[in-house]
Amino acid sequence: MAVPDRDLAEFRSTVGDWCRANVPKDWRRAQAGAPEEQFVAFQKAWFQELRQVGWAVPHWPAEWGGGMSVAEQIVLYQELAANDAPRLVLAFVAIHHAASTLLVAGTDEQRRCHLPAILDGELWVQGFSEPDAGSDLASLRTTGRREGDVFVVNGQKLWSSGAAHADWCLLLVRTDPGAPKREGISYFLMDMRTPGIDVRPIRNANGESHFCEMFLDDVVIPVSGLVGPEHGGWRVAQETLSAERGMTMLELSERLGRAGFTWLLEACRVRGPSGDRLLDDPVVADRLAAFEIEVAGLRSLCRRVVERHEAGASAPAEASIAKLLYSELLQRVMDFATEVVGLEAHTQLTKPLSSGWESGAWMLDYIGSYEWTIPGGTSEIQRTIIGERGLGLPREPAAR
Amino acid sequence: MDSDFGAVHDELRGVARMMLANHSPLTTAGRSFKPLDWQLLASSGWLGLEVPAAQGGAGAGFAELAVLLTEFGRVAAAAPYLGSVVLGTAALSLLEANTGRDHRLQELAAGTRRVAVALPTDRPEVGQPTAPFRIRRAGSVLEVSGRAGFVPDVVGADEILLLAADDHRPVLVAVAPSAPGLQIDAQPVVDETRHLAAVIADGVEIDPDSLWSFTGSPEAGAARLAERAMLAVACDSLGLATMMMEATVAYVTDRYQFGRPIGSYQAVKHACADMLVGISICSELVGTAVEALSSDEPGSWVPVSMAKAHVSSVAVEIAGKAIQLHGGVGYTWERGLHAYLKRAALNRSLFGSPIAHRRRLAARYAGEGNS
Repeated sequence: MAVPDRDLAEFRSTVGDWCRANVPKDWRRAQAGAPEEQFVAFQKAWFQELRQVGWAVPHWPAEWGGGMSVAEQIVLYQELAANDAPRLVLAFVAIHHAASTLLVAGTDEQRRCHLPAILDGELWVQGFSEPDAGSDLASLRTTGRREGDVFVVNGQKLWSSGAAHADWCLLLVRTDPGAPKREGISYFLMDMRTPGIDVRPIRNANGESHFCEMFLDDVVIPVSGLVGPEHGGWRVAQETLSAERGMTMLELSERLGRAGFTWLLEACRVRGPSGDRLLDDPVVADRLAAFEIEVAGLRSLCRRVVERHEAGASAPAEASIAKLLYSELLQRVMDFATEVVGLEAHTQLTKPLSSGWESGAWMLDYIGSYEWTIPGGTSEIQRTIIGERGLGLPREPAAR
Repeated sequence: MDSDFGAVHDELRGVARMMLANHSPLTTAGRSFKPLDWQLLASSGWLGLEVPAAQGGAGAGFAELAVLLTEFGRVAAAAPYLGSVVLGTAALSLLEANTGRDHRLQELAAGTRRVAVALPTDRPEVGQPTAPFRIRRAGSVLEVSGRAGFVPDVVGADEILLLAADDHRPVLVAVAPSAPGLQIDAQPVVDETRHLAAVIADGVEIDPDSLWSFTGSPEAGAARLAERAMLAVACDSLGLATMMMEATVAYVTDRYQFGRPIGSYQAVKHACADMLVGISICSELVGTAVEALSSDEPGSWVPVSMAKAHVSSVAVEIAGKAIQLHGGVGYTWERGLHAYLKRAALNRSLFGSPIAHRRRLAARYAGEGNS
């Protein structure tokens, strides 16, 4: 953990130099409105470039190809953001959720089978939410019936981002319908080539279709696909869902500070037909400064969360605090950018698929920000968690 | 507003709501934004609401138009109504009587002609509208040049009325879309229910009969047109915000999580309550502005700017909150809420941003008498 500052400074300039030499100069333009196959090919190629220098999965243990200290990871993500490198959005579930599931709860065989494969480009999707199990995830109704050495799974999953390209799926299934709702769920690794899986993309508010529905019709999963104990999947999901959140929030907060806020400043510096700039308006300047302050606080908080997590000293609900702050700040900054840039902000009809949540197509970015305030626990749910786990307030009234 | 008017408005609102019921992106699965049937609007009398009876119209006023505009907002209607009716008919009505004018009003009411009006729409400055075009006189030849961006409903219009400065005096100039030297560049926007275009005139020669003066003060005429545009957008935002509130209340009543309707949780219930509180203020501001504009009150720009600044902002908040409270479903294309958020955000920027309107209002505080 204790990396001397001198080495960190050196590492920072190494990453910066590498980015300047290797980040494709025009990737945003090339990826704006690009066809799906082009996006997938670009993401896979970029993943391999990062892998070659050892920066694709820095958060994994050394034995599996990671092993970077938290201090170095912070520098890495700061520099990738500062140099506007594409984000690994396609491999996101694979390198974060799938990896942490395997590392925390998987068997040796499962790890050997999948961790190297992920480095070679294996893609993963999450099969958690269902039409009637969103915030109340534990009420999920997809069933798994045990028949000897296999489970036969039936049901419907929703909001599975990237299912159309995924090789494997992290799947939550009700295997004991008689047990209390959190005690009858099992966690599976499902091969997406198994017969009976029907993936249908859902078109989003901003026109993209990375979210999918998955219909599972008598899908057979071998017992070897279980992660953790049979019926013990809820606990596995709880442990692995939050494991990666800290570093993700750090990366995204750096992006918001380096890319999003910087571009907003650039937009406000542009001289209009009469020679004036948006930032000459004291009202605009004031709001920009207020955002800068909040972004600075968020970036600092995200670093603190990661360091405390590393030291095993996480404060209660701090992951929820970071997620709530980031998502709502992102939303407010994009909304404000849309407002001040004005009608021009509405003429950008495509955004690059490999970007972060800010692309400079402000109206689309504003719409996209709801992908942060709704999934992964809505802002309403986060506030309840912060109140109950963070402050120890009495729980919401129980179900009637 | 007295009760006779109230009853007329209620009836108009009721008819409109019934006729438009199936046109909302919420009921068309967000798939298409087909324009409303123009001839149907004509036969309903909605195209000639403000046209005098002598020209085949209903002889009503902006108050009645405002009722319809709010209903169009409720269904995020795709129709060239803003360009042709709200601005086109009004522009012609504000002109000194001439033979071409009455004929045009008649055709507008009948739905056989459509016009667009090129006002400043993309500038942050409000106040006295600066004419985006200017007239040049070379002997007996008249030419118009200039540019206006984001003009509503230009594509498909039979004629475009340009707000032009004729030696500093605002006038309107009618040009055909096919006039040599006139360029129309469609400006597609994220909101698919609106159609905007840049109008660029480079030395377009005009017939002296197509250059029209406003009745009375030219400045007041030009300002009146701009105020109508601003208030029309505020009415639209009020309608769409109200629809978003109603859709959200229905959803959170039906949607169960943790064994209870999600609307029973205070986080959700209070957010819905805030929508109603916001809409209550908005509805007052719009009502006051409509009254001021329809009774031609001097200084009507003050309530108009108040309504435009506030309602267009609150509508974005409410449409955004509606998506948030609908959860993942609200974020799908098919559910159609996105169409409302996009339209609300575009409305916020059309005809002066909230910041620009507030700046204009604040200029009064120093006692400069900016009216």
